[in-house]
Amino acid sequence: MKDTSASYLRPHPTPLPKGEGVRGSDRTIAYLLIAPTIAVLLALTIYPLIYSIKVSFQSNSGTATLQNFTRLFTDQFFLSALSHTFVYAAIALTVEFQLGLVLALLLDSRIRARNVWRTLLLVPIMLPPVVVGVVWRLMLNSNFGAVNGTLKSFGVTTDGLTWTASPKLAMASVIIADVWQWTPFMFLILLAGLQAIPREPYEAALTDGSSAWQTFRHVTLPLLKPAILIALLLRTMDLLRVFDHIFILTEGGPGLATETLGLYIYRTAFRFSNFGYAAAMSFVLLLITNIISAGYIRLLQTRET
Amino acid sequence: MYPPNMKSIRFVFALISVIGLAVSGCQRSGTQDTRTLTLAINSGVEGDALKQAAKDYEQQTGIHINIAEFPYTNLFEKELIDLNARTGAYDLIMLDDPWFPKFTSLNVLTDLTPLLQKRGKSGPDDDFVATSLALGREPYQTGALYALPYVGNSQLFFYRKDLFQKHNLKEPATWDEVLTAAKTISENETSGAPGGGKVYGYVMRAAQGNAAVADFMPIFWAFGGEMFDASGQPTVNTAEGIAALKLMIELGKYAPPGYASFNADEVGAHLLQGTAAMSINWPAWISSFSDPSKSKVMGKMEFGQLPAAKNPGRAEIGNWLIAIPRDAKNIEAAVDFLLWATNREQMKLSAQRGNPPTRKSLFTDPELVAKFPSYPAQLRSLESSRPRPRTPLWNEIENAFGIYLSKANSGELTAEDAMNQANAEIKRIIDRSK
Repeated sequence: MKDTSASYLRPHPTPLPKGEGVRGSDRTIAYLLIAPTIAVLLALTIYPLIYSIKVSFQSNSGTATLQNFTRLFTDQFFLSALSHTFVYAAIALTVEFQLGLVLALLLDSRIRARNVWRTLLLVPIMLPPVVVGVVWRLMLNSNFGAVNGTLKSFGVTTDGLTWTASPKLAMASVIIADVWQWTPFMFLILLAGLQAIPREPYEAALTDGSSAWQTFRHVTLPLLKPAILIALLLRTMDLLRVFDHIFILTEGGPGLATETLGLYIYRTAFRFSNFGYAAAMSFVLLLITNIISAGYIRLLQTRET
Repeated sequence: MYPPNMKSIRFVFALISVIGLAVSGCQRSGTQDTRTLTLAINSGVEGDALKQAAKDYEQQTGIHINIAEFPYTNLFEKELIDLNARTGAYDLIMLDDPWFPKFTSLNVLTDLTPLLQKRGKSGPDDDFVATSLALGREPYQTGALYALPYVGNSQLFFYRKDLFQKHNLKEPATWDEVLTAAKTISENETSGAPGGGKVYGYVMRAAQGNAAVADFMPIFWAFGGEMFDASGQPTVNTAEGIAALKLMIELGKYAPPGYASFNADEVGAHLLQGTAAMSINWPAWISSFSDPSKSKVMGKMEFGQLPAAKNPGRAEIGNWLIAIPRDAKNIEAAVDFLLWATNREQMKLSAQRGNPPTRKSLFTDPELVAKFPSYPAQLRSLESSRPRPRTPLWNEIENAFGIYLSKANSGELTAEDAMNQANAEIKRIIDRSK
């Protein structure tokens, strides 16, 4: 018997005449369906983007100028905000990744009540960053805060521990709050990655007599790479544009100790109403974020080879 | 891929433009009704009295009042953007007085004098406190009138009279006496707080920005400092300015640790808990000290005048003004409301609800003084108060100045370095705007 039942699987012998595969009315519906998205995208993304490019090349009085970009190189407040942003992002990312990985490995193994732990760990992500800021601001208060109170009850002297008020500890304070809130996010993605790894490579490694460390280093880590890169990519983008909880915790202070680019851009635009300079700084931030993201994506794409 | 058909592309564009029209149509279809007013109000104690007055007005006149309430920082952004874009969204706006020069420099407010004349008044009556009324004129004190003062705040010097009596200290009249008293109290009251803890001699807001600057200006002025010379060049790093900052840092030694990040909340908490003995503060806090649910120092706090040094002590004024945007949809009705809300009778009602007035006759009104015993002190402070330097660049200058004050208080910079760097930064801000 001839195999006629599977003929639909074969490609069409000749290309379809125009308009036959999807009928005209279907195509109209398709455009109709994406039209609202396109309209919203144009109105909310493309137009403001073009507008902000325009204002970044304008002085406050509206004349064309490059001054907003040349000022970047001499503005001490900008340069210190830029370096604070990098310090903040680098430290928070490293700590969050390491803690997230440890937690994911722990909760991927068979420990008791692991579903309870998993749920509890997700609580911080669900809180608005402003709430996290306020909570940490109270906890880190040097006089009646929970952190110093706890340390005192263990006999630690807390005299110099003024946290958000100390030029040395303020950066650590805002990083602690970020780590507390966003480590679970790292953990979540890494745990999902771990659970997607098939059992077979582990069985093979066991048969070959590899140690736990060797298994982790040569089986888990390479197979987890895509999840790691995605987690790092998302967190890096978020960390570079951090604003909310620093604004609540220290407002960038004391002095300029925790002023990041996000805060300085906000101040420049909405307090000093210098939209041109704020737009110019935003483009620098966008450029940096894009370069770093492109690096991650390239690493992701090379995973097959 | 199928080549897109021209008809559908045209359709998509038609659809987008229809949506666009619908969106812009919504914006324009707002009621032009002369029986409606929209007010932009600060959400917080300073806005509460006006909000209640608006409700009364609605009941009395049937004019519908929409209230747009925003937190302090958002209010400024919101008003600036709306007025600058000439949307006419608001008929009346509440302004913190340091914002006023920015708005007049953009020419977005309505000149009130012709509107008052139309109603048979040559200008605002002379019951308004002169220093408050002067804020709503541009140039300051002498120019055209663009706003009327509504919330009559100015700083007071808060101190614990019980501790002063206990240690034989007299009411602090100079900053040197404040320093001595701070030292005495800090050293002797190591377990004198209501919970058994230490009482710090002094507490202040030294978080960068508005906080540090507001708590520094009265010291700076008393020491003879001036932010600008006659030609508008910054002069914060003079010997007087540096000496004033040194005193602030010296006082910081008797302040609770971490004061370099304190804002109003922390300062208020320390005073109410009885863990700090002196502070520059605002009248809005006074009522909390006689509220048993908040205060552990009932009846022990005194509200006096700002201490002197080389110059007499002068408080920083912090009034809220009400203005009418130039593009308001309903200017005539807005003027009627403004005059109603600022008349003596209505302001007395607001004062009873807790709003510090801007009329002399109310500060001396026996009924009100019985209810608010600190009114005479408030009037003295208000009448001798000074505004922050009047410049449209104030937000940016205050930010820069505050950063260096905060750095000096947290020990990152010496007083000299902080003032020199602040001066250079303020000069850059001014030069850039030219």
